[in-house]
Amino acid sequence: MNIPTFIIKNALRNKRRAVLSVLSVAASLFLLVTLLVALRELTSPPEGLGAALRVAVRNKISITNPLPARQRPIIEHISGVEAVTPFTWFGGKYQNEEGMTFAQFALDAKMMRRLFVDLKMTDAEWQAFTDEKTAAIIGKVTADKYKFKAGDRITLDSTVYPGALQFKIAGIYHGTADDRNMFFHQDYLDDSIGIPGQVGMWWLKVKTIDDMPGVIAAVNKAFANTSAEVRAESERAFQLGFISMWGNIKVLISSICTVVVFTLVLVSASTMSMAIRERFRELAILKAIGFQRRELFTLILAESFGLTVAGGLLGIGGAYALFTFGDISKMTHGIFIAFEVTPKIMGTAALVAASLGIIASIAPSIAVARMSVVNGLKTLD
Amino acid sequence: MTAKGNIVTIRNLSKIYRQGEINVTALDNVSLDIAAGEFLTLMGPSGSGKSTLLHIIAGIDRPTSGECQVQNIDVTQLDESQLADWRNQNVGFVFQTFNLIPVLTAQENVELPLLLMKLSSEQRRRRVAAALELVGLADRARHLPRQLSGGQEQRAAIARALVTDPALIVADEPTGNLDSHSAQEVLGVLQTLSRNAGKTVIMVTHDPKAAAFGSRSIHLEKGELTA
Amino acid sequence: MALPLTYNLRNVFVRWRATAATIFGVALVVAVFVLVQALAVGLEKASQNTGDPRNLMIVRKGSTAESSSQVSRQQFQTLEYLPQIARNANGQPLVSADVVVLVSLPRRESKGEANVSMRGITAIGMELRPQVSLAAGRWFAPSKREVVVSKKLAERFANFSPGEKFKTGGHELTVAGQFDGHNTAFDSEIWMDADEARSIFDRDNYSSILVRTTGTNAAAEFLRRIESDKRLPLRVEAETKYYSEQTSTALPIKILGDFLATAMSIGAIFAAMNTMYASVGARTREIGTLRVLGFRRRTILAGFIIEGAMLAGIGGGLGCLLALPLHGYSTGTLSFNTFSEVVFQFRITPWLAAKGIIFAVVVGIVGSLLPAIRASRLPVIAALKAV
Repeated sequence: MNIPTFIIKNALRNKRRAVLSVLSVAASLFLLVTLLVALRELTSPPEGLGAALRVAVRNKISITNPLPARQRPIIEHISGVEAVTPFTWFGGKYQNEEGMTFAQFALDAKMMRRLFVDLKMTDAEWQAFTDEKTAAIIGKVTADKYKFKAGDRITLDSTVYPGALQFKIAGIYHGTADDRNMFFHQDYLDDSIGIPGQVGMWWLKVKTIDDMPGVIAAVNKAFANTSAEVRAESERAFQLGFISMWGNIKVLISSICTVVVFTLVLVSASTMSMAIRERFRELAILKAIGFQRRELFTLILAESFGLTVAGGLLGIGGAYALFTFGDISKMTHGIFIAFEVTPKIMGTAALVAASLGIIASIAPSIAVARMSVVNGLKTLD
Repeated sequence: MTAKGNIVTIRNLSKIYRQGEINVTALDNVSLDIAAGEFLTLMGPSGSGKSTLLHIIAGIDRPTSGECQVQNIDVTQLDESQLADWRNQNVGFVFQTFNLIPVLTAQENVELPLLLMKLSSEQRRRRVAAALELVGLADRARHLPRQLSGGQEQRAAIARALVTDPALIVADEPTGNLDSHSAQEVLGVLQTLSRNAGKTVIMVTHDPKAAAFGSRSIHLEKGELTA
Repeated sequence: MALPLTYNLRNVFVRWRATAATIFGVALVVAVFVLVQALAVGLEKASQNTGDPRNLMIVRKGSTAESSSQVSRQQFQTLEYLPQIARNANGQPLVSADVVVLVSLPRRESKGEANVSMRGITAIGMELRPQVSLAAGRWFAPSKREVVVSKKLAERFANFSPGEKFKTGGHELTVAGQFDGHNTAFDSEIWMDADEARSIFDRDNYSSILVRTTGTNAAAEFLRRIESDKRLPLRVEAETKYYSEQTSTALPIKILGDFLATAMSIGAIFAAMNTMYASVGARTREIGTLRVLGFRRRTILAGFIIEGAMLAGIGGGLGCLLALPLHGYSTGTLSFNTFSEVVFQFRITPWLAAKGIIFAVVVGIVGSLLPAIRASRLPVIAALKAV
């Protein structure tokens, strides 16, 4: 037998307590990782490919106010602008659903491919989409959910425009950060129940990244003091603007994380302290035999660490496995589409586990340091 | 079948248990009669089986073979719940380590066994008072065990053993954790119970001075009765 | 016969140093549960108690919120003088057409921008909404570029004190006063003159119409009248019903709360289990003694489960106390229904507190089950367990 074996034998002496301690740590670390990932997903929207070159232009009053279609040629003429498309929220409900389950946008189908480069479809599907006015393309996630395929006809009831529209599915796309949306022709909307001459907002693509600030300034200036003033901003800024509408959600989740960590430390530390106290008699014997205080601390720390490492592997590893290989969309009822457990998050959780290992060994170490061998031997087993 | 005046009749009692790989014989074919009102002491060295014998008589352990009749009831044939009831009504146990419930007062400890009987709270109160009076602890009724001396704790334990008015008082090294003065007190109480109250007291001890308080001594060695 | 409850209770307290951590852990779990649910309840209540039961709300068919609904002037004129509509003291019909526009405005302390609901309203419209009263300053004057903001909104957004100005739609608006919505959905709104709103935001159409009918029969008749008219693609429902349906924002928060509680409770259950096992371990002799005295196995089992429940129950009560200071704390977030800021308060109802404690007790029972079984399986001889 050597020291490590001795430590392990000690820890497993009361298998049940060891298992419970490990599980308790694992459960709390799993929760911590989940919360950190959720926080990150909510506050740092994923970057789509090509986002760096895209600019969002909305009505300055608020995004729910429309923009006049006549702004388009003015924007197209601004130097540095490569492509422009309208982008109008349809707000459609599918079949008898209570509310909207996926978003639909009207846009310029021909321009779309140039702007949203991360969207992947076959050339045939692109052709089918641009050729037919009533055509629509749908993201893979929604297509899978409702089992849509190319050629299907679906009808959506708009909550924003008076009436419903029927669409023919031309293709299923994937590859974007959010594969749930549906896109169709702005012309189709204008010709039917829409308001011709009005669009929801504009999306632009700039030629190079250096053009971005100039384009944004030019667009804002072009419509200043008109009846439809705009706010142009980079895609990132636009997304962050949405998030800031959530208000204190970041604060809320951060507070909960803090509480969770605190509870975790409290519960696990006390559990392990109790475990160590059980072992006072043995520790006293070791002391009598001649083990130094330092060596006893090491024993306690090693056991404490062992338990938290085991709990950490289980909890963090479990979270990683579940969120990397599980179907996030299904698990969260579509609230989240990605749930990435980044190395940074795993590192943070591991750090918490390590700190826990240290903190939990403090009280028992102090007690052992103070203990006189005689009293220790008298301790009830 | 109990002979006249015998409260306990033991025939061919054996107890063998496994300790790891070995069979240990704790009791080897023991036969014994105990008369009502006796103060019997069981003596012998460590491992002699005296405690095992006591436990079987008191209904907290079972023999491997043989019979043990207490007041015409073969306790070896009772099932677990029957034994529990039987113990409650017929045996008062006094432990070496007192075994008072730490969070209950002396009074509440003495009342415990009565909670299993169908008595009114007034009846319980009277019995508890009487028992405490008998052992001289009436003024310490509201104290917690940690507020009592060793001797007082043991006296409270005796009061608890008495309160159900059992026929049998069984004591396992009752003075083992007491100083000589308290030991004397406790042994005196047990003696009084036997002589004046007609209780049968069976006590395990290794101390001849304690055994002197009894009316009869028997010796065990290696599971067998000697002398 | 069971063991006295005082025995169980005293045991919980006598080992307080060992149990304190678990009690506190359970307290924290319950506090988090109660607070998150209080958020959800607060959100729901913010819209639920809105509306006058005598009023009917009219929006376009298919619309889910006023801000996305359009009601034309012709449609309004068709309704305006229907006989079922009640009249006020001056003989005017109690019917009002509002314009609801979402405006992106900066928060206090530059914490970004958020959409706020701006309601263009008429004097009759204000009369129809008795839940709102003036809190500071004065009401806006008709035909002026003035607004009155909700007091609660003013706490969260910049430039909302009486006298201050802000810009939107290329126009500057002056804050004439603040109103108190008395914990209704109106707490999340800014009010201004309806015609001014239509002018500034370039709206030909209204968003919604609010109507008070002369009685229940009149209301039914009015409804039938509208629904049977093919020229009117409108949806009519009681104002109170319209608002009580606007609660879908609370749902994800409720789901979050349940998820958190479940996940944290697993840790709490393990902690309780550990504590109870330790308790059983320390009281082996005591348990044996009780069995010697004649107490049954199931009594011991029940006793330990009760102790676990008490332990956790105390934690639950403590958790509710920890959450209590936040009751009534005002905050805001994005409403999924109106797509604008909704201001609400944490609401800890007695039922919610009870749920928290019940939840804690369940955690305690589940956690102490295995240790209690272990205790009940101890042999009677355990009473003689050497030190």
